[in-house]
Amino acid sequence: MAITRLDAAINLARSNSLWPLMFGTKCCAIEMLMATGAAHHDLARFGAEVARASVRQADLMVIAGAIVKKMAPRMRLLYEQMAEPRYVIATGSCAISGGPFMYNSYTVVRGADEVVPVDVYVPGCPPRPEAFFWGLLTLQRMIREGETIREPGVRRKPVMAALPEDVSLHEIRAEIRAALANENVIDVTQAANQKPWARKVREWIQRASLR
Amino acid sequence: MDPESLLALVETAHPTLRRRPLTDRPAVSVAPGELLAVMTTLRDHADLRFDLLITHTAIDYPGENRFELIYLLYSTVHGHWLIVAADVDRTRPVAPSVCGLWPIAEWQEREAYDLMGVLYDNHPDLRRVFLEDDWVGFPLRKDYQDEYMLELPK
Ligand code: SF4
Repeated sequence: MAITRLDAAINLARSNSLWPLMFGTKCCAIEMLMATGAAHHDLARFGAEVARASVRQADLMVIAGAIVKKMAPRMRLLYEQMAEPRYVIATGSCAISGGPFMYNSYTVVRGADEVVPVDVYVPGCPPRPEAFFWGLLTLQRMIREGETIREPGVRRKPVMAALPEDVSLHEIRAEIRAALANENVIDVTQAANQKPWARKVREWIQRASLR
Repeated sequence: MDPESLLALVETAHPTLRRRPLTDRPAVSVAPGELLAVMTTLRDHADLRFDLLITHTAIDYPGENRFELIYLLYSTVHGHWLIVAADVDRTRPVAPSVCGLWPIAEWQEREAYDLMGVLYDNHPDLRRVFLEDDWVGFPLRKDYQDEYMLELPK
Protein backbone atom coordinates (compact mmCIF):
# COMPACT_ATOMS: atom_id res chain seq x y z
CA MET A 1 0.00 0.00 0.00
CA ALA A 2 2.72 2.42 0.97
CA ILE A 3 4.63 1.54 -2.16
CA THR A 4 1.60 2.13 -4.34
CA ARG A 5 1.14 5.59 -2.87
CA LEU A 6 4.82 6.34 -3.23
CA ASP A 7 4.58 5.21 -6.84
CA ALA A 8 1.71 7.54 -7.46
CA ALA A 9 3.61 10.45 -5.98
CA ILE A 10 6.79 9.66 -7.87
CA ASN A 11 4.97 9.14 -11.14
CA LEU A 12 3.09 12.38 -10.69
CA ALA A 13 6.36 14.20 -10.14
CA ARG A 14 8.00 12.51 -13.10
CA SER A 15 5.14 13.14 -15.45
CA ASN A 16 4.90 16.83 -14.63
CA SER A 17 8.57 17.63 -14.89
CA LEU A 18 9.74 16.11 -18.15
CA TRP A 19 12.94 17.71 -19.30
CA PRO A 20 13.28 17.37 -23.04
CA LEU A 21 16.61 17.12 -24.77
CA MET A 22 17.50 19.85 -27.25
CA PHE A 23 17.70 17.53 -30.19
CA GLY A 24 16.12 18.05 -33.58
CA THR A 25 17.04 16.33 -36.78
CA LYS A 26 14.82 17.87 -39.41
CA CYS A 27 11.89 20.17 -40.22
CA CYS A 28 9.72 18.69 -37.43
CA ALA A 29 12.12 20.23 -34.91
CA ILE A 30 10.98 23.69 -35.97
CA GLU A 31 7.45 22.78 -34.98
CA MET A 32 8.17 20.51 -32.02
CA LEU A 33 10.90 22.32 -30.16
CA MET A 34 10.81 25.88 -31.45
CA ALA A 35 7.15 26.66 -32.11
CA THR A 36 5.88 24.73 -29.09
CA GLY A 37 8.51 26.22 -26.83
CA ALA A 38 7.73 29.78 -27.88
CA ALA A 39 5.15 32.00 -26.28
CA HIS A 40 2.19 31.38 -28.57
CA HIS A 41 1.83 27.66 -27.82
CA ASP A 42 3.99 27.56 -24.72
CA LEU A 43 5.25 24.16 -23.71
CA ALA A 44 5.70 25.52 -20.19
CA ARG A 45 2.00 24.99 -19.54
CA PHE A 46 2.74 21.27 -19.35
CA GLY A 47 5.86 21.56 -17.29
CA ALA A 48 8.13 20.33 -20.06
CA GLU A 49 9.80 23.52 -21.20
CA VAL A 50 13.20 23.00 -19.60
CA ALA A 51 14.96 21.90 -22.76
CA ARG A 52 18.44 20.83 -21.79
CA ALA A 53 21.47 20.90 -24.00
CA SER A 54 23.04 18.03 -22.07
CA VAL A 55 21.75 14.47 -22.21
CA ARG A 56 22.74 13.95 -18.60
CA GLN A 57 20.08 16.39 -17.47
CA ALA A 58 17.30 15.34 -19.83
CA ASP A 59 14.80 12.53 -19.54
CA LEU A 60 12.63 13.08 -22.60
CA MET A 61 13.93 12.67 -26.11
CA VAL A 62 11.69 14.16 -28.78
CA ILE A 63 12.75 12.63 -32.05
CA ALA A 64 11.69 15.41 -34.38
CA GLY A 65 12.56 14.38 -37.89
CA ALA A 66 14.17 11.72 -40.00
CA ILE A 67 17.07 9.73 -38.63
CA VAL A 68 19.76 9.03 -41.19
CA LYS A 69 22.13 6.12 -41.05
CA LYS A 70 24.96 8.39 -39.97
CA MET A 71 22.86 9.84 -37.15
CA ALA A 72 21.47 6.54 -35.86
CA PRO A 73 24.50 5.43 -33.80
CA ARG A 74 24.87 8.94 -32.40
CA MET A 75 21.24 9.02 -31.41
CA ARG A 76 21.56 5.64 -29.75
CA LEU A 77 24.52 6.99 -27.80
CA LEU A 78 22.54 10.04 -26.67
CA TYR A 79 19.69 7.78 -25.61
CA GLU A 80 21.97 5.59 -23.57
CA GLN A 81 23.51 8.60 -21.86
CA MET A 82 20.17 10.01 -20.79
CA ALA A 83 19.08 9.87 -17.17
CA GLU A 84 16.75 7.01 -16.28
CA PRO A 85 13.78 6.70 -16.44
CA ARG A 86 13.89 8.08 -19.96
CA TYR A 87 11.06 8.58 -22.37
CA VAL A 88 10.96 8.92 -26.13
CA ILE A 89 8.37 10.63 -28.29
CA ALA A 90 8.69 10.19 -32.05
CA THR A 91 6.98 12.96 -33.96
CA GLY A 92 6.20 13.09 -37.65
CA SER A 93 6.03 10.45 -40.31
CA CYS A 94 9.80 10.49 -40.80
CA ALA A 95 10.49 9.43 -37.24
CA ILE A 96 7.63 6.94 -37.27
CA SER A 97 8.33 5.07 -40.49
CA GLY A 98 10.75 6.98 -42.67
CA GLY A 99 7.79 8.83 -44.13
CA PRO A 100 8.45 10.34 -47.54
CA PHE A 101 11.90 8.75 -47.50
CA MET A 102 10.73 5.22 -46.97
CA TYR A 103 11.41 4.07 -50.52
CA ASN A 104 14.48 4.50 -52.70
CA SER A 105 16.41 6.32 -50.01
CA TYR A 106 19.97 5.36 -49.33
CA THR A 107 20.20 7.14 -45.99
CA VAL A 108 17.00 7.41 -44.00
CA VAL A 109 16.33 4.83 -41.29
CA ARG A 110 12.76 3.55 -41.55
CA GLY A 111 11.48 4.66 -38.18
CA ALA A 112 13.29 5.83 -35.07
CA ASP A 113 12.12 2.67 -33.31
CA GLU A 114 14.72 0.73 -35.25
CA VAL A 115 17.23 2.57 -33.09
CA VAL A 116 15.64 3.33 -29.71
CA PRO A 117 12.41 2.20 -28.03
CA VAL A 118 9.65 4.75 -28.51
CA ASP A 119 6.85 5.44 -26.00
CA VAL A 120 4.53 7.70 -27.96
CA TYR A 121 4.20 8.30 -31.67
CA VAL A 122 2.69 11.56 -32.86
CA PRO A 123 1.63 11.37 -36.51
CA GLY A 124 1.70 14.29 -38.91
CA CYS A 125 4.04 15.98 -41.33
CA PRO A 126 4.77 17.94 -39.27
CA PRO A 127 2.30 17.41 -36.41
CA ARG A 128 0.69 20.62 -35.25
CA PRO A 129 1.84 21.91 -31.86
CA GLU A 130 -1.55 20.86 -30.49
CA ALA A 131 -0.93 17.34 -31.72
CA PHE A 132 2.44 17.35 -30.03
CA PHE A 133 0.84 18.52 -26.80
CA TRP A 134 -1.64 15.72 -27.14
CA GLY A 135 1.26 13.30 -27.45
CA LEU A 136 2.92 14.85 -24.43
CA LEU A 137 -0.26 14.57 -22.39
CA THR A 138 -0.55 10.96 -23.49
CA LEU A 139 2.97 10.32 -22.31
CA GLN A 140 2.22 12.00 -18.98
CA ARG A 141 -0.83 9.81 -18.56
CA MET A 142 1.19 6.73 -19.41
CA ILE A 143 3.82 7.67 -16.86
CA ARG A 144 1.21 8.22 -14.15
CA GLU A 145 -0.45 4.90 -14.83
CA GLY A 146 2.66 3.01 -15.74
CA GLU A 147 5.88 2.23 -14.01
CA THR A 148 6.30 1.18 -10.40
CA ILE A 149 9.52 1.50 -8.51
CA ARG A 150 9.48 -2.23 -7.91
CA GLU A 151 9.81 -2.96 -11.60
CA PRO A 152 11.68 -0.08 -13.13
CA GLY A 153 11.61 -0.08 -16.90
CA VAL A 154 8.39 -2.05 -17.24
CA ARG A 155 5.90 0.24 -18.90
CA ARG A 156 2.78 0.40 -20.94
CA LYS A 157 3.09 -0.42 -24.60
CA PRO A 158 3.86 2.37 -27.04
CA VAL A 159 0.85 4.20 -28.41
CA MET A 160 0.02 6.26 -31.43
CA ALA A 161 -1.28 9.55 -30.04
CA ALA A 162 -3.24 11.15 -32.84
CA LEU A 163 -5.25 14.21 -31.99
CA PRO A 164 -8.95 13.20 -32.15
CA GLU A 165 -10.21 13.73 -35.66
CA ASP A 166 -13.01 16.15 -35.00
CA VAL A 167 -10.88 18.61 -33.04
CA SER A 168 -9.72 21.55 -35.09
CA LEU A 169 -7.17 24.20 -34.35
CA HIS A 170 -9.93 26.74 -34.52
CA GLU A 171 -11.92 25.00 -31.80
CA ILE A 172 -8.94 24.68 -29.51
CA ARG A 173 -8.14 28.36 -29.93
CA ALA A 174 -11.76 29.34 -29.30
CA GLU A 175 -11.86 27.20 -26.18
CA ILE A 176 -8.67 28.68 -24.81
CA ARG A 177 -9.89 32.19 -25.60
CA ALA A 178 -13.23 31.55 -23.88
CA ALA A 179 -11.50 30.08 -20.85
CA LEU A 180 -9.27 33.12 -20.65
CA ALA A 181 -12.22 35.45 -21.00
CA ASN A 182 -14.61 33.77 -18.58
CA GLU A 183 -12.55 32.18 -15.90
CA ASN A 184 -9.33 34.02 -15.71
CA VAL A 185 -10.55 37.60 -15.43
CA ILE A 186 -10.33 39.18 -12.01
CA ASP A 187 -10.82 42.64 -10.64
CA VAL A 188 -7.42 43.40 -9.17
CA THR A 189 -8.59 46.02 -6.64
CA GLN A 190 -11.40 43.86 -5.45
CA ALA A 191 -9.17 40.82 -5.19
CA ALA A 192 -6.55 42.80 -3.31
CA ASN A 193 -9.11 44.12 -0.84
CA GLN A 194 -10.41 40.65 -0.11
CA LYS A 195 -7.09 39.42 1.18
CA PRO A 196 -7.11 38.77 4.94
CA TRP A 197 -4.11 40.98 5.44
CA ALA A 198 -5.77 43.81 3.62
CA ARG A 199 -8.69 43.59 5.99
CA LYS A 200 -6.39 43.50 8.96
CA VAL A 201 -4.45 46.55 7.76
CA ARG A 202 -7.72 48.42 7.21
CA GLU A 203 -8.75 47.63 10.79
CA TRP A 204 -5.44 48.90 12.16
CA ILE A 205 -5.79 52.12 10.24
CA GLN A 206 -9.34 52.58 11.49
CA ARG A 207 -8.32 51.90 15.06
CA ALA A 208 -5.39 54.28 14.80
CA SER A 209 -7.53 57.04 13.34
CA LEU A 210 -10.09 56.61 16.13
CA ARG A 211 -7.43 57.06 18.74
CA MET B 1 30.21 41.19 -71.00
CA ASP B 2 27.13 40.01 -72.89
CA PRO B 3 26.83 36.25 -73.43
CA GLU B 4 27.48 36.36 -77.18
CA SER B 5 30.80 38.19 -77.00
CA LEU B 6 31.76 36.21 -73.92
CA LEU B 7 31.28 32.94 -75.81
CA ALA B 8 33.09 34.33 -78.85
CA LEU B 9 36.05 35.32 -76.71
CA VAL B 10 36.19 31.91 -75.02
CA GLU B 11 35.99 30.19 -78.38
CA THR B 12 38.83 32.17 -79.90
CA ALA B 13 41.01 31.26 -76.94
CA HIS B 14 40.14 27.56 -77.20
CA PRO B 15 38.79 26.59 -80.63
CA THR B 16 38.00 23.00 -79.60
CA LEU B 17 35.23 24.10 -77.24
CA ARG B 18 31.62 23.44 -78.14
CA ARG B 19 28.84 25.83 -77.27
CA ARG B 20 25.82 24.29 -75.66
CA PRO B 21 22.48 25.40 -77.00
CA LEU B 22 19.32 25.93 -74.94
CA THR B 23 20.84 27.03 -71.68
CA ASP B 24 19.77 30.10 -69.73
CA ARG B 25 23.36 31.06 -69.06
CA PRO B 26 26.25 30.82 -71.52
CA ALA B 27 27.57 27.28 -71.45
CA VAL B 28 30.38 25.35 -73.12
CA SER B 29 31.50 21.72 -73.26
CA VAL B 30 35.14 20.73 -73.10
CA ALA B 31 37.01 17.46 -73.31
CA PRO B 32 38.34 16.39 -69.89
CA GLY B 33 41.88 16.45 -71.25
CA GLU B 34 41.59 20.14 -71.97
CA LEU B 35 39.72 21.06 -68.83
CA LEU B 36 42.68 22.44 -66.89
CA ALA B 37 43.96 24.56 -69.76
CA VAL B 38 40.50 26.01 -70.41
CA MET B 39 39.90 26.71 -66.74
CA THR B 40 43.26 28.44 -66.40
CA THR B 41 42.41 30.72 -69.33
CA LEU B 42 38.99 31.43 -67.90
CA ARG B 43 40.42 32.43 -64.56
CA ASP B 44 43.43 34.42 -65.75
CA HIS B 45 42.39 36.09 -69.03
CA ALA B 46 42.06 39.81 -68.32
CA ASP B 47 38.65 40.07 -70.01
CA LEU B 48 37.24 36.91 -68.43
CA ARG B 49 38.59 36.73 -64.88
CA PHE B 50 36.31 33.98 -63.58
CA ASP B 51 37.62 34.15 -60.03
CA LEU B 52 34.76 32.35 -58.27
CA LEU B 53 33.76 28.72 -58.65
CA ILE B 54 30.16 28.85 -57.48
CA THR B 55 29.50 25.17 -57.64
CA HIS B 56 30.73 21.94 -59.08
CA THR B 57 28.66 18.84 -59.44
CA ALA B 58 28.25 15.74 -61.56
CA ILE B 59 25.32 14.22 -63.41
CA ASP B 60 24.99 10.52 -64.08
CA TYR B 61 23.89 9.32 -67.55
CA PRO B 62 24.08 5.53 -67.27
CA GLY B 63 22.42 5.04 -70.68
CA GLU B 64 25.16 6.99 -72.41
CA ASN B 65 27.87 5.61 -70.12
CA ARG B 66 29.12 9.01 -69.01
CA PHE B 67 29.24 11.43 -66.12
CA GLU B 68 28.82 15.06 -66.93
CA LEU B 69 30.88 17.31 -64.68
CA ILE B 70 29.40 20.77 -64.30
CA TYR B 71 31.32 23.85 -63.20
CA LEU B 72 29.41 27.06 -62.59
CA LEU B 73 31.74 30.05 -62.76
CA TYR B 74 31.23 33.67 -61.87
CA SER B 75 33.44 36.69 -62.26
CA THR B 76 33.31 39.15 -59.40
CA VAL B 77 35.35 41.53 -61.55
CA HIS B 78 33.11 41.62 -64.64
CA GLY B 79 29.92 40.18 -63.19
CA HIS B 80 29.38 37.50 -65.84
CA TRP B 81 28.57 33.80 -65.60
CA LEU B 82 29.67 30.71 -67.47
CA ILE B 83 28.80 27.06 -67.20
CA VAL B 84 31.52 24.61 -68.18
CA ALA B 85 30.63 20.97 -68.74
CA ALA B 86 32.97 18.04 -69.30
CA ASP B 87 32.06 14.43 -70.02
CA VAL B 88 34.01 11.62 -68.43
CA ASP B 89 33.74 7.91 -69.08
CA ARG B 90 31.41 6.25 -66.58
CA THR B 91 33.44 3.05 -66.31
CA ARG B 92 36.65 4.97 -65.61
CA PRO B 93 35.59 8.35 -64.24
CA VAL B 94 38.83 10.26 -63.89
CA ALA B 95 39.03 14.02 -64.24
CA PRO B 96 41.72 16.59 -63.48
CA SER B 97 41.24 18.44 -60.21
CA VAL B 98 40.80 22.21 -60.34
CA CYS B 99 41.82 22.68 -56.70
CA GLY B 100 44.92 24.53 -57.82
CA LEU B 101 42.79 27.20 -59.48
CA TRP B 102 40.01 27.54 -56.95
CA PRO B 103 40.77 26.10 -53.49
CA ILE B 104 37.03 25.65 -52.76
CA ALA B 105 36.97 22.96 -55.43
CA GLU B 106 38.62 20.69 -52.90
CA TRP B 107 35.32 20.36 -51.01
CA GLN B 108 33.12 20.27 -54.06
CA GLU B 109 35.19 17.57 -55.67
CA ARG B 110 35.14 15.58 -52.46
CA GLU B 111 31.37 15.74 -52.56
CA ALA B 112 31.24 14.58 -56.18
CA TYR B 113 33.59 11.76 -55.28
CA ASP B 114 31.54 10.87 -52.22
CA LEU B 115 28.18 10.64 -53.94
CA MET B 116 29.06 9.89 -57.57
CA GLY B 117 32.45 8.25 -57.41
CA VAL B 118 34.23 10.62 -59.78
CA LEU B 119 37.97 10.43 -59.21
CA TYR B 120 40.08 13.57 -59.37
CA ASP B 121 43.72 13.60 -60.39
CA ASN B 122 45.98 15.61 -58.08
CA HIS B 123 43.33 16.21 -55.48
CA PRO B 124 45.18 16.73 -52.16
CA ASP B 125 42.70 14.87 -49.94
CA LEU B 126 40.14 12.78 -51.81
CA ARG B 127 38.13 11.26 -48.94
CA ARG B 128 34.43 10.86 -48.32
CA VAL B 129 32.85 14.00 -46.92
CA PHE B 130 29.19 13.28 -46.06
CA LEU B 131 28.97 9.53 -45.80
CA GLU B 132 30.71 7.29 -43.32
CA ASP B 133 34.22 6.27 -44.26
CA ASP B 134 33.23 2.62 -44.54
CA TRP B 135 30.34 3.23 -46.93
CA VAL B 136 30.32 0.92 -49.91
CA GLY B 137 29.29 2.37 -53.27
CA PHE B 138 28.29 5.79 -54.52
CA PRO B 139 24.63 6.45 -53.71
CA LEU B 140 23.78 9.17 -56.22
CA ARG B 141 24.60 6.90 -59.13
CA LYS B 142 21.37 5.91 -60.80
CA ASP B 143 22.07 2.19 -60.44
CA TYR B 144 23.01 2.32 -56.75
CA GLN B 145 21.56 -0.47 -54.62
CA ASP B 146 22.12 -1.65 -51.09
CA GLU B 147 20.52 -4.31 -48.95
CA TYR B 148 18.70 -1.82 -46.69
CA MET B 149 17.06 0.18 -49.48
CA LEU B 150 13.42 -0.51 -50.39
CA GLU B 151 12.18 -0.29 -53.95
CA LEU B 152 8.95 1.62 -54.41
CA PRO B 153 6.33 -1.03 -55.21
CA LYS B 154 4.85 -0.55 -58.66
S1 SF4 C 1 7.57 14.26 -40.84
FE1 SF4 C 1 7.45 15.93 -42.35
S2 SF4 C 1 7.87 17.79 -41.15
FE2 SF4 C 1 8.56 16.04 -39.93
S3 SF4 C 1 10.72 15.78 -40.39
FE3 SF4 C 1 9.58 14.44 -41.79
S4 SF4 C 1 9.28 15.69 -43.63
FE4 SF4 C 1 9.83 17.09 -41.98
